[in-house]
Amino acid sequence: MKALLVAEYRENQVRECTYELLSFAERLGAAPVMFIVGDADALPAFEGPLYLAEASTCGEFSPSVHKALLLEVIAREQPDYVVFSHSSYGWDLAPRVALATGAGQISEILDLHEEGFVVPLCNSKLRSTLKASGPLSVLTLQSGAFAAAEPQGSPQVMALDVPAGTDPLRFEGLEEAEKSEVDLSKAEIIVSAGRGIGKKDNIEMIANLAKAMGGEFGASRPVVDAGWAEHSRQVGSTGQSVAPKLYVACGISGAVQHLMGMKKSDFVIAINSDAEAPIAEVADVMVVADLKEFVPALLSCLQG
Amino acid sequence: MKILVCIKQVPDMESKFKLNPEGLWYSDANLAWRMNEYDEYAVEQAVQLKEQLGDAEICVLAIGPDRVKEMMKKALAMGADRGVHIKDEEPWRMDCFGIASLIAAYARDKDFGLVFTGMQSQDRGSAQVGTLVGEMLELPVLSTLVEFSFEGGRVSGKRELEGGVRARVSAQSPAVVTCQLGLNTPRYPTLPNIMKAKKKEIQTLVSSELGVQPGRVEMVRVAFPEKRKGGMLIQGDISQMTSQLMTVLKDKFSII
Amino acid sequence: MEATREIYWNVGPAVLLPMYLLTAAAMALAGFWFWKRVRVYRQGQSLDRSADLKQRVLSALNMAIMQMRVRRGGGAGGAHALFFWSFLVLLVGTLLILVQADLTDPLFGVRFLEGPFYLIFSLLLDLGGLVALLMLIALMVRRYLIRPEGLVSRRDDLAVHGLLFSILVTGFFIEALRMAATELPLNRELAIWSPVGMAMAIPLQSLAEPQLRSLHQVFWWIHMLLVMGFIAIIPLTRLRHILTTSLNYVFVDRGPKGALRTLDLEDESAEHFGAEKIADLSWKDIFDTDACTQCKRCQDQCPAHATEKPLSPMKLINDLGQVAFDDPEAALCERVGTDALWSCTTCRACQEVCPASIEHVGKIVEMRRNLVLMQGEFPGEEVTAAAENLEVNGNPLGLSFSARADWAKDLDLVVAGQGGEFDILYFVGCYASFDKRNIKVARSFVELCKAAGVRVGILGEAEKCCGEPMRKMGNEYLYQMMAAENIEAMQASGATKVVTSCPHCFNSLAKDYRDLGFELEVQHYSEYLAELLEQGRLKLQPQAFDCTYHDSCYLGRYNDIYQAPRELLAAAGGRIEEMERHGSESFCCGAGGGRILAEEKLGSRISEHRARMAAQTQAPTLVSNCPFCLTMFEDGVKGAQLEESLVPRDLAEILAERIDRP
Repeated sequence: MKALLVAEYRENQVRECTYELLSFAERLGAAPVMFIVGDADALPAFEGPLYLAEASTCGEFSPSVHKALLLEVIAREQPDYVVFSHSSYGWDLAPRVALATGAGQISEILDLHEEGFVVPLCNSKLRSTLKASGPLSVLTLQSGAFAAAEPQGSPQVMALDVPAGTDPLRFEGLEEAEKSEVDLSKAEIIVSAGRGIGKKDNIEMIANLAKAMGGEFGASRPVVDAGWAEHSRQVGSTGQSVAPKLYVACGISGAVQHLMGMKKSDFVIAINSDAEAPIAEVADVMVVADLKEFVPALLSCLQG
Repeated sequence: MKILVCIKQVPDMESKFKLNPEGLWYSDANLAWRMNEYDEYAVEQAVQLKEQLGDAEICVLAIGPDRVKEMMKKALAMGADRGVHIKDEEPWRMDCFGIASLIAAYARDKDFGLVFTGMQSQDRGSAQVGTLVGEMLELPVLSTLVEFSFEGGRVSGKRELEGGVRARVSAQSPAVVTCQLGLNTPRYPTLPNIMKAKKKEIQTLVSSELGVQPGRVEMVRVAFPEKRKGGMLIQGDISQMTSQLMTVLKDKFSII
Repeated sequence: MEATREIYWNVGPAVLLPMYLLTAAAMALAGFWFWKRVRVYRQGQSLDRSADLKQRVLSALNMAIMQMRVRRGGGAGGAHALFFWSFLVLLVGTLLILVQADLTDPLFGVRFLEGPFYLIFSLLLDLGGLVALLMLIALMVRRYLIRPEGLVSRRDDLAVHGLLFSILVTGFFIEALRMAATELPLNRELAIWSPVGMAMAIPLQSLAEPQLRSLHQVFWWIHMLLVMGFIAIIPLTRLRHILTTSLNYVFVDRGPKGALRTLDLEDESAEHFGAEKIADLSWKDIFDTDACTQCKRCQDQCPAHATEKPLSPMKLINDLGQVAFDDPEAALCERVGTDALWSCTTCRACQEVCPASIEHVGKIVEMRRNLVLMQGEFPGEEVTAAAENLEVNGNPLGLSFSARADWAKDLDLVVAGQGGEFDILYFVGCYASFDKRNIKVARSFVELCKAAGVRVGILGEAEKCCGEPMRKMGNEYLYQMMAAENIEAMQASGATKVVTSCPHCFNSLAKDYRDLGFELEVQHYSEYLAELLEQGRLKLQPQAFDCTYHDSCYLGRYNDIYQAPRELLAAAGGRIEEMERHGSESFCCGAGGGRILAEEKLGSRISEHRARMAAQTQAPTLVSNCPFCLTMFEDGVKGAQLEESLVPRDLAEILAERIDRP
């Protein structure tokens, strides 16, 4: 079995999610062949064949051109799977390739087993198992669902030529995210502070914890109302609805409005002195502790 | 210009889901239905474009049983001009390719200048249909837009990439646009428009007549995820608690 | 000598013709100017406020003459009442003189201003003038020197005050000059019955009679002209309230208290909803703006104003007045300010206190209706989301309709339509169904019913939001959608009596739903439990505790239920330490008017204000009986950092802890 892995490249770098494709291929038991529209000076680190098209000539984002390149590789390699990350690049390109090859496409794969691929349904409330009907499957992987493989080795590079024709879609450049604004709705890790933190000064402690975990800090409505945090950080039905992979609720009892805003979180850790607080019902891990003791202790562990 | 907006009726995600007897999908019973959130942005953008152009006609298209007309009325109340209901009692049996084929079959000879749709649906979440429709109609597809403008027949927009970065893209119409959350603020229909919507035409077509394509993905089964309720309880000694939590963080999230 | 005086002394009958001509001219001018105002009122939509006209007039006379609503406003209100009464005495006195001098005496030779009656007449008028003058001075000192916060003075106020002051003073001069020339030298005993006039006349005696007489003539004419001026400018100045405010008592809303106009949404020809321009409001709404005396009592009571939000009920009424008279095509919501409109909690404190019986809340809701129904605007995205949640799941929280009865899963309640009998249908409401904190209240109520042997039924999944918050936000369409479903479900349930735990549900079901054909008896649990207690069905084991009780707006001001909850608290052993603002002057928790669905982005938090008021009583427990109040106070005590000293609780929880079980 062979899996054609579609690596991602943006602004002179291979994107991290590329390495998740590798570990997925391994789970699949398929020999990996990689494809990238990137730069010879910034290649993904792995052992195996790599088809390279230069982003400088093929465009960093040019769906028709990238599709044409991929179709050529598919024709050459005859893979069983074409695997993308379920990212803005992957979900844009995958259906184009699937349609052109007559393949069935399965999106946002969380897991796999013998019968097929597991994808979320209805905001992760359900799981659906799917499989492609034909010989070729186009897959996109939920980022984080498969641990990234260790980048190691160097690929055997096969250069691809620029295909003929122009893309009707014109890519006009990238815009950096606005720095000042926090967009919690897109954050993958959120550490939120509730009234239980006691006073304004403790916000810093929560912000530090968020930073140490590589996430954003959020807040419950009373904390924002008290002026301890700015409004863009408010999580709840009246603030931001969030869907992070990890949500750490510090001193949040779990008022209904708050629960509504964070219910889409994949994994919830609650730190609260009250084991009976409503947040416990949605928490995957409930830490019953005094925040003022526990958070600094956890911080020092995280910071090693 | 003629504008097509493809919308989908989905269950409210707060619903208590049950599986259908075949175990392939959720049961239709006892659900609250609404318009797919992403599609609301699509409708809004189409209406804004019509307001900009003045001379435009918006057609909304939905596939499903009769209940989808309720949702279509909302789109009509928001400002769409007419509806096309492709009747299908069990649209969930079709995969994304099948759905896109139906839409393309309807839209192919209709000379739509722009096709709007949500970048994905809240229930299936595949993010395929809009792009497939564009590819089938051989139109450029601008996917995942969070900004949209239309000037001199050219669509310009910003795609939302990971990490808050945005990519500026453009294409000549006709084109397909798929809408990401935050593209605009979907309007709340005014009462006179709700009243007017009741009188707007909804044409009903039957899916089988448009030609249902064989699917390319098979459903094996649907199940509930392993329950996360009754999660782990950590209490006791501080250092013990931190190390327990650190283990969780390492295992699950490779933090540190 | 006879106790009387010569009418038209010194001025003679020659003044009669010019005097009456002038009066007629002044009244004609006043009439003309009023007529112009009536034309402005008539821009408004028709509204029938004439039913029971006799009753209306009688009660209006009573309110105006007794100064019923005015007097409640502390010192200034009392001063106004005294001024009014004394001015009334002067007016009646003057009319009596006219009646005798120009009617009964010349025609029938009947004189009644003689003898003992004249003595009393003389004394009353003299003292009346004094009291009027003193009150006027006191009110002027308040307005121009003390200047209470928020009191707005206009230029014409000073003119009015100056005019009144001059009329009173010249009146006394006329009296004193006449007395100095007549009574003092000739009939001192009579002069004693005009003490103020006499006191002023004594120093004037130094003048010779011809001087007194010519001065008297001068003052008489000045006084006369001032009074004519007074009559003429009534419609142009604040003075018009003498008429408009009194008439407003006639046109008062005779209830049901707080009922809003129910829009006819079946009418397919209707293309316009709510108030966009002044002409969309009723004539009474415009008339209200003319009845306002800018006493600012509404503003002093307003919870939004007290928390630095851009709403003053007084300013809102004045803004509407300005639009009606000066700029009738103006966009109302813009002129009043959408932030002001959305800040209202519809708590009715303004209306309750208004001495002119102005109806503020209905106008605000009409303007909100325009914003929501015609422009699709809400105070924030969170409210739009709540509206969508209501459409989809029948509750503003966005939780699954099918989970609505989950709170009662283990309580063995009868769900209507699924078999089983019940005595009362409990209309649970959204918060008691879904919000963890308020579920405790619902469970407590059920426990109390069970202890009293009452079988409780619920609608289960068929229950929807009563629609009240959305209605107050202006979304009449969504409200009627919710109401229609609830009415159908309740009437099909076989219930004979409905009990709610939420005052907002109560107000909707018991009042608003009547317009939509709902007929079942409805009670709030406070009254229902008080009845059970009185009947001896509910038995409590009192345990002493201290608390303060918060009157929710929709139980108190909207429905005048003040006693039942206090009786229940007393029966439970509670000692109530009342807050300064309690009863009909209670201070809203901040959640009314649909504000429960909205972020409080402007000013400080109303709930914290109220929590601080409660804390001032030193009572450790803040008892309420409204899920919105409880939700707000749970936040409020935290925000005000009072968690240690003040615990918000619902009445039902306290009672349930004290059930006397045999």
